[in-house]
Amino acid sequence: MIFDAGVRSMNTQTASLLQLQQQVASGRRILNPSDDPVNAARALEVTQSQSVIAQFSVNHNNATSSLGLEEAQLTSVTDVLARVRELTVQAGNTTLAASDRKAIAFELRARFDELVGLANATDGGGQYIFSGFMGATKPFGGSVDGILSNDPLLAMRYDGDDGQRKLQISPSRFIEVSDSGNDVFMRVRNGNNFFATAYPVDAENRITNQGTAMVDGGKVTDPAKWNALTNKNYEIQFTVDDTVSPPVTYYDLVDKSNFPNTSLLTGKPILDDYPLPSPMSGEGLRVYESGQPIVFSNLVDAPASPIPDFGISVTVMGDPAMIVDPNDPTKVKRDSFSIAPSSSQSMFGTVAKLIGALESTVEVATDGTSNGVARLSMDVGFALNNLDQSTENVLRVRAAIGSRMGEIDSTSGVNEDLTLQYQQTLSQLQDLDYAKTISDLTRKQTDLQAAQQAFVRVSQLSLFNYL
Amino acid sequence: MLSASQSLIARFQGLDQRMSEMRDGINSQVRGQVQSINTFASQIAEMNQRIILAESGSRTQVPNDLYDQRDQMVREMNKFVRVTTVTQSDGAFNVFIGKGQPLVIGSQAYSLAAVADPADPEKFIIAMNGVGGNLLTLPESQITGGTLGGLLAFRRDSLDGAQNALGRIAITLAQNFNEQHHLGMDLTGQLGGDVFVQSTPLVRASSANNGGLGGNGQPDVVLDTTRLSELSNSDYRLSVSSSGTDFQLTRISDGAVVIPMTDFVFGGWPPAPPDDTVDGIKITFPITFPITYTPVANDSFLIQPTRAGAKNIALAITDPRSIAAAAPIRTSATLSNTGTASIDAGVVLDTTNPAFNPAFPPNFNTTGELSPPILIKFDTATTYSIWDNSVPPPPGPMASGFTYTAGAIIQFPPPGYGYEVKITGKPAANDTFTVGGNKNGVSDNRNAQLLGALQTTSTMLEAGGRATASYQSAYSQIVSEVGSKTREVKTIGAAQQGLAEHAITSMQQISGVNLDEEAANLLRYQQAYQASAKILEIATRVFDEVLALGR
Repeated sequence: MIFDAGVRSMNTQTASLLQLQQQVASGRRILNPSDDPVNAARALEVTQSQSVIAQFSVNHNNATSSLGLEEAQLTSVTDVLARVRELTVQAGNTTLAASDRKAIAFELRARFDELVGLANATDGGGQYIFSGFMGATKPFGGSVDGILSNDPLLAMRYDGDDGQRKLQISPSRFIEVSDSGNDVFMRVRNGNNFFATAYPVDAENRITNQGTAMVDGGKVTDPAKWNALTNKNYEIQFTVDDTVSPPVTYYDLVDKSNFPNTSLLTGKPILDDYPLPSPMSGEGLRVYESGQPIVFSNLVDAPASPIPDFGISVTVMGDPAMIVDPNDPTKVKRDSFSIAPSSSQSMFGTVAKLIGALESTVEVATDGTSNGVARLSMDVGFALNNLDQSTENVLRVRAAIGSRMGEIDSTSGVNEDLTLQYQQTLSQLQDLDYAKTISDLTRKQTDLQAAQQAFVRVSQLSLFNYL
Repeated sequence: MLSASQSLIARFQGLDQRMSEMRDGINSQVRGQVQSINTFASQIAEMNQRIILAESGSRTQVPNDLYDQRDQMVREMNKFVRVTTVTQSDGAFNVFIGKGQPLVIGSQAYSLAAVADPADPEKFIIAMNGVGGNLLTLPESQITGGTLGGLLAFRRDSLDGAQNALGRIAITLAQNFNEQHHLGMDLTGQLGGDVFVQSTPLVRASSANNGGLGGNGQPDVVLDTTRLSELSNSDYRLSVSSSGTDFQLTRISDGAVVIPMTDFVFGGWPPAPPDDTVDGIKITFPITFPITYTPVANDSFLIQPTRAGAKNIALAITDPRSIAAAAPIRTSATLSNTGTASIDAGVVLDTTNPAFNPAFPPNFNTTGELSPPILIKFDTATTYSIWDNSVPPPPGPMASGFTYTAGAIIQFPPPGYGYEVKITGKPAANDTFTVGGNKNGVSDNRNAQLLGALQTTSTMLEAGGRATASYQSAYSQIVSEVGSKTREVKTIGAAQQGLAEHAITSMQQISGVNLDEEAANLLRYQQAYQASAKILEIATRVFDEVLALGR
């Protein structure tokens, strides 16, 4: 009995000593799940959360480098656009000689190629930055001459797609690490972002206006009113009343949505009969004054224009003309400017059109026709508007990139905190309290030694020793 | 991703292998222990015989040695399994196992046998060799205590559950992963295939069955892939009634009848229970030729939906280019749009839709285009129509007159195209948006993100119609269950150890030897002996004196 009891108690002590020894050796409190089933299970889940966060940190770095690369490209794009704008302003100087404009056009061609090069940039892995999901596809193809040829097959092509690559940087946030070329370079609103003005051209792309009038880009005074319109195609037509002396120039605002086109001022269809009715003032048209804003308000209440105020104004300068149709003396041809809702015009298109204008105006100027000069001024004005829109679009994308980088920074801070938090939790769950365990170990050791010595003493006690 | 999948599979299979080894180990241990029990039983019977002889030979002489030996044997036998003894008037012990199953009656020993369970050949159970060589299986509840009882309880309570739970994780993971992968497009522009080879439920016809294919016929049991989160970690027993016209399904872990007795409808198979999916599995009786099973009375089947899940999981793709990281659709707003509306990237729901045309390679698979590609055209700022965007453009819309609500899902003509897109913002009349195939979308990672999201999505352990656990939580639940069980057993073990020690102490108090007491007794007898010897010596001298006097 003494032996059994002694061995038993020593076995128990040895077992707990072994447990403590293993804990100290591994540094972990939980050696087997049975030591603490609840915390062992929790430790598993915390470990998963920890590794997920670790992956997020990797994604942070990747996202930051992708965005940094894109930002660098876009900075260059902004610089190129600024240089193009500088050249455009320079080209707008009507005193320049044709050779000077040619020189400017020559540099613009170089800038165009630079822009295409930036748009086709690749990242370190050889993927195109601005091609959306189609990373292996070169996104932009085309040339100035292709765009100017007006052949749809030769126009600037975007071969990528609208995809935005995303990376997960936190449990609930997938951050965009790319922008599609469509979004950056192609989908740029033309004109003043609401509408674009234009002069009429014939099939050979020659201006058909006979006078020297020039239209500006126009202004929106009340965006809500303009946006409420469903049809946004209008025209400003000029009628020169030659029945009085000196001739008086009137303008009419025309709704182009129905045929025959109707006047927004009189509500009647537009007629091009000659000779003109007399007096013109009875027609309800407005008298044109160079440089005075043409305001789209106080319009008639017609089915095509139920709203009497469009909230826009356009300024025309110079002298518009009206001629009798050389083929039909009973008809007239009026100078006009059209207004169309803004749609997309690529940066490349803007630059290419400017180059075209500069190169072709050279020829027009030698004709000595004055509307060539007007056309050049308008082209430069439109180009400036469109360049501003382009720059603004690039800045918009860059601002988005900046805010994404900011978000990455802040979430990476959160993730670092979380990592630390998880580490602490994990440590609480499974790490060993060394001080306590070692003191336990020492105590158990003493206990075991005491048990051994007691056993030896007791087991030696026997009467037989004295016989 | 492939090597990580490979190591995941290796881990699943490694764990499963360990558990299967344990199962094999239990089987061989059960066999060994049954042999030992049989040996003890026959020895006890022999002892009984000798004790009866000894007792009948001489009433005064008690055969204590034999008693001791027999007690020792019973004690040893109790280490293997708990037995009860009843002493007979002739001194023999009757030994019983469980609830009165006789192991030794007088000098007659009955033997146990370890036999393969007729319902599950991988599992050895205990049977008793009855009269005339009939094997009588003992329910596991009868075998308690000792190492044998412990082995059976371990297999029943921990091993089966843990292996099934592991299989359940493997099955759910493979299924979810495959389903999401099918919604993607790989680097070569093909729709995603399976990533993992899926395991199928094991159905074991009882060896006592008579129905179909010489008793080997069985019903079809498949996983209901839409309701996998309901999978339990139990096995099931499908049994045919004694009339042979009904069947019922029992969940073994809790004994619950999950499909009550339901009629087979002859000629109208499958019998279609009210809800033919139970706990994520679907049971049907094959009706197509050749009919592999016709019910016969008292047939039964063991259904193990998840047992082989971890063992059978395997990687189905080997080429990294076959990983469907991209989504197969792409959306775009036309550049000439004048409105400010934008279209989202879309959500792919079902790539088996004809729009994805998996069966007809001329469309999707070669050109990377949907069939048909879609053009959403705004006829006015508030209504839109759906056009076929193929080249050359068809003459009219496929459907029109839908009313636009910003941010709502765009309506397609029924039954839809297997994906959803949303348009937000303010479109203008004549604005168009396109949805097409994601041709060359090699930098797209939308589907990979959705695959990654599976890690933290709750897809398992449905409760109240909602999945409640991710893979990791399900796994940690196994760890926690096994851990708790171990702890519980340890605690019970410590308590039992205390009881056993107490019993041994009591026994030793009666039968043990105190050396001091014996030494003291020895001294006493020695002195008594010496005293007696002294008396003898004195007596001798007295006699000598007396004899000398007479000389």
